[in-house]
Amino acid sequence: MIRTPQMLQKQEWLAFLFHRHNAHLASFHTFSNYPRIWIISIIILAVTSLSPLVMATFINNRLIHKSVDSELVLQTDRVTSNAKRSVRFFLEERLNALRFVVNELPYYSLIDNEHLTKILINLKLGFGGFTDLSIIDSDGSQVAYAGPFNLEGKNYKTQSWFKQSMEKDNFISEVFTGYRDVPHIIIAVRSQNAYGRYYLLRATLDTQRLMDTVLSYKSNFHTDIFLINHTGILQTPSTNYGKIFTPTQIDIPAFSDTTQVITPENNKDKSYVVGYSYIATEAVTTPFILMVHKKKSEVMGTWLNLGKTFNWIIGFCCLVMMVIITLVSTYMVNQLFLADQSKAETMLKMEQSQQLACIGQLSAGIAHEINNPLALINETTGYLKDLYHYKDTPRDDKEIIELLNDILEAVSRCGTITSQLLGFVRQFDVQISSVNVEQLITGILSFHKKETEYKGIHVTTAIAPDVPDIKTDRGKLQQILLNLINNAFQAIEVNGCLDITVSHLPPNTISIEIKDTGCGISEENLQRIHEPFFSTKKERKGTGLGLSITYGLVKKLQGSIRVESSEGVGTIFTVTLPVKLQKEDEA
Amino acid sequence: MKQIDILIIDDEIKFADMLSRRLSLRDITCRACYDGLSGIQWVKENSGAATLILLDLKLPDMYGTQVLAHIKELDPAVPVYIITGHGTREDEKECLAQGAAEFIHKPVSIEKITTLLTHVRGEVQ
Repeated sequence: MIRTPQMLQKQEWLAFLFHRHNAHLASFHTFSNYPRIWIISIIILAVTSLSPLVMATFINNRLIHKSVDSELVLQTDRVTSNAKRSVRFFLEERLNALRFVVNELPYYSLIDNEHLTKILINLKLGFGGFTDLSIIDSDGSQVAYAGPFNLEGKNYKTQSWFKQSMEKDNFISEVFTGYRDVPHIIIAVRSQNAYGRYYLLRATLDTQRLMDTVLSYKSNFHTDIFLINHTGILQTPSTNYGKIFTPTQIDIPAFSDTTQVITPENNKDKSYVVGYSYIATEAVTTPFILMVHKKKSEVMGTWLNLGKTFNWIIGFCCLVMMVIITLVSTYMVNQLFLADQSKAETMLKMEQSQQLACIGQLSAGIAHEINNPLALINETTGYLKDLYHYKDTPRDDKEIIELLNDILEAVSRCGTITSQLLGFVRQFDVQISSVNVEQLITGILSFHKKETEYKGIHVTTAIAPDVPDIKTDRGKLQQILLNLINNAFQAIEVNGCLDITVSHLPPNTISIEIKDTGCGISEENLQRIHEPFFSTKKERKGTGLGLSITYGLVKKLQGSIRVESSEGVGTIFTVTLPVKLQKEDEA
Repeated sequence: MKQIDILIIDDEIKFADMLSRRLSLRDITCRACYDGLSGIQWVKENSGAATLILLDLKLPDMYGTQVLAHIKELDPAVPVYIITGHGTREDEKECLAQGAAEFIHKPVSIEKITTLLTHVRGEVQ
C-alpha cells in the first residue's frame, strides 16, 4: 500500500485524470474533484480571454454591415434619381417636340402625308426614337400617317389610350403591342384645328431607346433596373423578373414625388435594397415607375472578403489561445494534483508510522505493565527454587500453591497487556466490523494503569446504557481514541481528572467526549492543532502529526471532531461517529 | 538502631516480599517499604543503618527521583540502586546525576543483588 518515493517522483502527465483512485490517499487530498477544477479553469480562462476578442469581432461585423447598408442606400438613391431624370428627359423631350410641331404647323399641312413623313424624318434626325407619326381626328379615325406600318384609315375610337388622350393636352401610354404586335409607347398631344375641333398628333416611340436609356444606368449585374406600370407589369426587361410584360409580384410602392429607397420587409436576410421613383414630366404624369434593385453583395464584396479574412485570423487566434489555455490549465492542475498527491502520500505514510509511534509513546507504560509481573514471576520461581535449596522440608503445599497462584496471576497480567497490544495490528484498509466502544476504551486505559496510579489521576468512564455497538473500522477508531487519550494523559498533572463520556445521539450517531483537567490549549494554538507538524512539545518527542492524523481518521470514519479548551482548565475533545459506517461506494 | 543489609522501596508488594524472603534465606537482612514516604521515613529514623537501598522509580505517592533526592540528603553515603520496570534514558541520566549508584531494569536476578551487596561491603571495609 505504501508508495515508494520512486513512484512519487514519477511526474505523470495528466495524472489527475488517469491516476488510480485510492480511497486512503483521497481522504488526505485538499481538493477532491480535479477534472472539475480543470474544466472550470479552462472555461474561466477561455471566457475571460476570448470574450473581448469575440465581442470586438461581432461589433466590427455589425459596423461593416451598417456602413455597407448606408453606402448601398446612397448608391441606390443616386442611380435611381439619375435614371429617373434621364427617362423623364427622354419622354419630355419627345413630348415637347410634338408640341412644337402642332403649335408651329397648321392642321392642313399636318394632314398631308408627305409633309408628315418629312416631319417624322426630321424628328428621327433631331431626337431619335420615333417610329411613326399620325394625325387622328376627334372621332378616332386616323387622318394622316407617316411610318413603316400601313395603318391609314384605322379607327382608334374604342381604344383606351385614345379616350385618355382626348381628355388632356398631353398623353403618354404604357408599353403595349397594339395592332402591330411590337412593343411601343404612344405619346400624343392634343390640339385644335381651324374649326375648333380637337385632333391628336400621335407618335409611336421605339421602346428600344427607352430601354437603352434605362439600362445605361445598370452599372453591373448586382443592379437590376427596370420600369413597371402602376399594376406591376414589366415595361422593360428585368434581370430578376424576366421579359417585358411579365407581371411582377412587386408591392407597388406608395406614391412619392421624390426618389425613395427602401429595404423591403419580405426580403430575406436583407440582401438587397430597392430604389423607386414615379416618373412624371412637367406636362403629364406617366404610367411608369422606375425600379432599382441593388444587391448588397455588390458593395459587400470587398468588405465581406476583408471581414472573412479578419474572421479567419480571429478564429485562428482563438484556436491558438484555446490550445495555450488548455495546456496551461492542464499543467497547473496537474502540478497542483501532483503536489497534493505527494502531500497525501506523505500523510498516509505518517498515519501508518504514527500508529506505531503512538504505541512507542506508550512503551513506558507497556514495559512497566510487563516487566513488573515478570519480576514477580522471576522472584517467585526463584523463591520456589530457594525452598528446595535452603530448606530440606519444602513440602508445605499450601505455600507452594500460593506461590504458583502468584505466578499465574503475574502471567495473566502480562497476557492482558500483550493481547491489548495485538489489538493494534496495523490495519490500513477500512474494515467494518462491530465494535464495542466500552471495551475499546477499557483496553486503551489499561495501558495507562500504572500512570493512573502513580500520578493519582482520577479516571471515570461513563457509557450511556443505550449506546449500541457500532459498525465501524476498529483499527482506526482505536487509533483515534489512543491518540486522544495519550494526549490527555500527557496534559494531565498529578491528581488530575480524565472523564470519558460516550452517549447515543439518536437516531444514528454516537459521541465520545474525552475531557481532561490538563494544561489546556491556548486560543491561538487551538486554531492550529489540526495542522500537520504543529506541536507544542518542542523539546520532547512530539511529531506534530497526532491530531492532524486523528482528524483525517475521523473524516475517514465519516465522523467529526470538535475541540474546546481553556488554558489552565482543561480540554474537551468530542468525536461524533455514525453508528453504521457507509462503505465508500455506497456513501 | 538496627543495622540491616538492604532497604527495598517498591510498591509491588509481592515482589518486595518475595525478594526479601529470598534474601533472608541467604542470610541477608532486609526491610521493605511499599511507598516513597515510608521509605524516606525509615532512612530518616535509621540513617546509616542500611548497607544499600533498592529503589523503584514509579511509586504511588511520589516519583523515585524525588525519593532519591531525600535519601541523598538524609544519608549521603548509602548507595542507592534504582530497580525499575521501565525507565527512559532521561530517567536514567537524571538518577545517575542525583547520585544513584546504578540503574537496573526489572526483572533482576538474585545473584546480581548479592554481588552488589558483596561489592558494597568490600568497598566499605
